[in-house]
Amino acid sequence: MADTIPATGEAEAARAVPRRRFLADALRLGAGAFVILSGLADGEEPGEPYDWEAHRWAYLIDTEKCIGCGSCVRACKAENDVPDGFFRTWVERYVASAEASHVDSPNGGLEGFPPLRVDFAPTKSFFVPKMCNHCKETPCVQVCPVGASYRTRDGVVLVDGKRCIGCGYCVQACPYGSRFLSPATHTAEKCTWCYHRITKGLRPACVEVCPTGTRRFGDMRREDDPVRIAIERGRVAVLQPHLLTEPHCYYLGLDKEVR
Amino acid sequence: MEHARHVFRVLLVVAVALGGITIARGLLVPRSYGLHGPYRSDNVAEQASVRAPLHGGAASCATCHEQRAAAVAKGAHRAVSCEVCHAPLGRHVRDGQVIAPMPFERSHALCARCHRKIDGRPAAFPQVVLEQHVPGGVHGAVCLECHDPHSPKL
Repeated sequence: MADTIPATGEAEAARAVPRRRFLADALRLGAGAFVILSGLADGEEPGEPYDWEAHRWAYLIDTEKCIGCGSCVRACKAENDVPDGFFRTWVERYVASAEASHVDSPNGGLEGFPPLRVDFAPTKSFFVPKMCNHCKETPCVQVCPVGASYRTRDGVVLVDGKRCIGCGYCVQACPYGSRFLSPATHTAEKCTWCYHRITKGLRPACVEVCPTGTRRFGDMRREDDPVRIAIERGRVAVLQPHLLTEPHCYYLGLDKEVR
Repeated sequence: MEHARHVFRVLLVVAVALGGITIARGLLVPRSYGLHGPYRSDNVAEQASVRAPLHGGAASCATCHEQRAAAVAKGAHRAVSCEVCHAPLGRHVRDGQVIAPMPFERSHALCARCHRKIDGRPAAFPQVVLEQHVPGGVHGAVCLECHDPHSPKL
């Protein structure tokens, strides 16, 4: 051992890195690594992480503006990969007179509405978009036997597909008909207010594409939110208020025919 | 001591049962269950990242199609998002790369979804009776002969 050190030491000294250069390179390398690593960290978390305590989402539907184009239904289907024949949101058409009324929703309004013939003389007609009402007192969550349905702190009713056993109790419990059993997963599915969008600062797909401003989405925890102001100061209604489900989906211009 | 053995046996059975229940519960109940309520709260994060957003909104289209967006903003279709008539952004662009051309539907069926006169539409909304709007009735791509879909008012 004692022999080898001076033997190689001389050869090594010839191409040894001077201490000053070594220190400078080490500093450069360290700084570079720091820049790269901090860049990576930024890439993983763009902006503020989502805080569900800071939001309480609400939805406002102005039925007097709806033209029944079905853009929302198509957007929802595309955004959420909704199976054919099932709907997370749909549009109903009400045609009514003082004596009679007729409701239709051909394929949920996915391709719009055809002209309609009814056997009475209608005096009014209008469209009503429907979806999960994201109730505060949710019948669907109450009946779930496995804790798959729940309401988040920001006011969204969701289904845990991994827990759901597909018993369908919630489908029957929902008074608004907002849930269905997916033929693909055999679990309950419903509107999530596009939770994958709203947690990133985007609006739900149906609101994003609504051409008339019928559908609006807002945050009740934000004081200057236009939807919050409209709900707090305007005369809003909810569907089936007698059930005391406390929906967070509010309506303007709701007619007595609408259930 | 004879009686104490009986008590010990009962205690042993109870302890084994409790241990069994605790182990079974630990295995069966998900880790995040009950943190915020009677549900698996890990699912909230799963739902938030269940898929990438497909619709980008009209503003996202304007990042590449600035002139088109400016022209639409001046027309009667200013409130109509590009994705209403074309397709969701995610079918056209992914990770900043164009993956497929945007579809163009030229058929009158697209226009009719909003502008065909039917029961239910607000009276003030522009609507046409397809059979009467043009001689021979609205058919094919006839709408585009007079109207620019991006600024349809004549």
